[in-house]
Amino acid sequence: MSIEPQLLELLELIKAQNKLARPGGLALELGCSLDDLGKLLEKASKEGLVERMADTWRLTDKGRIEVQRHRERYIHEKYGHKPGFLGQITRFVEGSIQDWRGHWRRRHGLDENSLRGFYKNIQDLEGRVEETSSLADLHPGERGIVAFALGGYGLIRRLADMGLTPGTEVTVIRNAPFRGPIEVAVRGVSLALGYGVASKVFVKRPKGTD
Amino acid sequence: METKRRITIALAGNANVGKSVIFNQLTGLDQVIGNWPGKTVERAEGTLHYHGYSIRILDLPGTYSLSAFSIEEIVARDYIAIERPDVIVNVVDASALERNLYFTIQLLELEAPVVMALNQVDFAAKKGIRVDNEKLSKALGIPVAPTVAITGIGIDELLSTIVKILEGKTELTPLKIRYGKEIEDRLEKLELKIREKLPELSAKYPARWIAVKLLDKDEDITAKVEGYQNGAEISALANAIAKEIERIHGEPSPIVIASERYSIASGMAEDVARIEAPPRLHLEERLDSITAHKILGYPILALVMTAMFATIFIVGDILVRTLENLFKNILIPATLYLLSTVLPSALVDLISKGFLSGIAAGVTIALPYIVPFYVILSILEDSGYLPRVAFLLDNPMHKIGLHGKASICLLLGYGCNVPACTGCRIMETQRERLLAGFVTVLIPCAARTVVILGLVGRYIGIPAALGLYAFDLLLVFTLGRVGFKALPGEPVGLIMEMPPYKMPSMKTVARKTWARTKDFVYIAFPLIIAGSVVLEALAVTGLIWSIADLMNPLIVGWLGLPSIAGIPIIFGILRKELTLILLADLAGTLNFSQVLTPVQMIVFSLVTMIYVPCIATIAALIREFKWKKALAISIIDILLALVIGGVAFRLLTYILG
Repeated sequence: MSIEPQLLELLELIKAQNKLARPGGLALELGCSLDDLGKLLEKASKEGLVERMADTWRLTDKGRIEVQRHRERYIHEKYGHKPGFLGQITRFVEGSIQDWRGHWRRRHGLDENSLRGFYKNIQDLEGRVEETSSLADLHPGERGIVAFALGGYGLIRRLADMGLTPGTEVTVIRNAPFRGPIEVAVRGVSLALGYGVASKVFVKRPKGTD
Repeated sequence: METKRRITIALAGNANVGKSVIFNQLTGLDQVIGNWPGKTVERAEGTLHYHGYSIRILDLPGTYSLSAFSIEEIVARDYIAIERPDVIVNVVDASALERNLYFTIQLLELEAPVVMALNQVDFAAKKGIRVDNEKLSKALGIPVAPTVAITGIGIDELLSTIVKILEGKTELTPLKIRYGKEIEDRLEKLELKIREKLPELSAKYPARWIAVKLLDKDEDITAKVEGYQNGAEISALANAIAKEIERIHGEPSPIVIASERYSIASGMAEDVARIEAPPRLHLEERLDSITAHKILGYPILALVMTAMFATIFIVGDILVRTLENLFKNILIPATLYLLSTVLPSALVDLISKGFLSGIAAGVTIALPYIVPFYVILSILEDSGYLPRVAFLLDNPMHKIGLHGKASICLLLGYGCNVPACTGCRIMETQRERLLAGFVTVLIPCAARTVVILGLVGRYIGIPAALGLYAFDLLLVFTLGRVGFKALPGEPVGLIMEMPPYKMPSMKTVARKTWARTKDFVYIAFPLIIAGSVVLEALAVTGLIWSIADLMNPLIVGWLGLPSIAGIPIIFGILRKELTLILLADLAGTLNFSQVLTPVQMIVFSLVTMIYVPCIATIAALIREFKWKKALAISIIDILLALVIGGVAFRLLTYILG
């Protein structure tokens, strides 16, 4: 079962506002009228995704699972596949993924440890998942704050030793052509990260930047 | 004279902070470069006499951390923890204080007596950063001596600081690294347990450090702990604690620990460093943006490489001629004359042709190209250009399962395969090193270039010679891919520091060249000389002709070369450019077009280019990868050369009619 995008956006927003989601604020963020929002909320609660607590809205367990799935799909889109035509072929060949855990393990070689960390990471992600992107997708001059790195222990520890720990601000200096490495400024030094490494580092875009 | 006190100090710190420059400043030319016992990690050691002290100085490998990712890190920390040098000088780059303090924190955790050399304060000033060294010294509880290693500023003060500690005039009150409360409480518990259950291990390493390392999931320490009878219990406790920390923080415990170390480092750096002025690095920045540019970077790289090899060949050629004259006309005749007065003539022949011409070949042919190569290499290295090369070439290297740094090995290979093999140490894992070594020896070095240019380039044309180079690159990529698929293990991605551009110091370049040349002579010369003697003995006894006869089916039948080409190919194992000289000797002419057809020239060059890297390279391979792998690589290369040579002979004969 898939949920329509607008509904998902609503769920993400409610999660992002963390128990303080009031209709006024939600409508403002979504850019729709209060009426439309009311309809959307009604639909969501009918599906058992959200519930009302006094004047705020929060996610039900089902809603949380839905958000988690959405995030997983989003990160997967950003991380796992090449964009463009090749990516479409890959996705077509893979079909729709049912067993996500198995997919991460088999296709992306994540072990049980890193998988556990990954799920915790996407659950703890503050704000909407769409504010997260892979470091490899940032353009020169753009900034990001490291949210988490997806990969085995070896990789994330090497990254941490070089200063790329969660919460660290990075600025992209330049990238090499054809999916070459990316040079970033972090903690006052320049690091070159291979495309594969950079695409495993997920960053939050600081507010007020694009 | 009073007896000298002997003490040992070790230099530790990140890569690219000027550690080896400080080492050179301290020791001068009095240094020994070798390997750490049983490990392919360079060990540089020197001695300094200062104020009645005989100070042994060790340059530990430059690392960013003291975990167990690389052999370098294990070597560095085991030396500090187990050998316990009297003082550790932590060389720190003042312009990148935060990242460097991360390492300092780990040194303090090892409970080592640390003195800080706050280096590159001049460069930091250029970046607009001023570090208050007294404040830093107070914060860390250790002496901090500001230095500018390249010009030698501050080295004396550093030494007197060290002596003050040795004489007990300065007390060290190193900062105790404290983590968050939820970690600290658990660490304490674990530390107590370690002291109680593992007294031997905690005599070797500080117990608290073992506790931290266990939470850091350090494989080396975990294995050491589990090697003891009570170890399993400790490691189970550590695992449980790590799980608790993971639950609290939502990150694996090693990441939590790294994060906390970094936040200590970052807080301290912010406290003691002031941004005083806007950076004045216009030239450096412009250079950086051009040389690492996504389009311009590549033609510049090609230009730099062309200039490098042109210089090597021009300078090398002049040196070769001068030295050859010296040997041929003065040194060899003089020695022979002296020898012939005491020894029988057959022995004199063996010595002159084998031993002396071996030395002569090494000195007159190898060194003239090697020395300029090392000079240019050191300049490129010290200026900071090589990481840009790795940056630009990372992508193609991934196709053969390596990353950008491997391109540096390949480039070195065009100069000489011997330093290129040693250079493979820059790769992180044993798998990457082997793969890089395997493809590097297929790169035509300067000596092979002499053959290709002298034969194919001169008699067929430069395009044909370039064609051979292109074919070689294709071969490197194909074989690299095969090796990449065949070797078990995951490829490692590129994570590399891009140090800012710097003006290389000629003094350092000279010292590096000297050390490397010495290293080359040590590896290569014994084998070149021994090989010359053996081959000369074969020639004197006439055995060489029987061997040539035995090889005839291969040389004539399969490769389609004239029978006399067999001997140069055997001798080529010594030094590849010898093949051309010998061919001229045996053919009795310098005009190769009289003895070889164009197809034969190409086949001869191909075989020379691919078959066993010369004996010095084999020695380097043995040193890096041990006997078995070196032998395997050599055999693969011989077979490859024969197959490709034979196929090329048939194909070219067919095409060219």
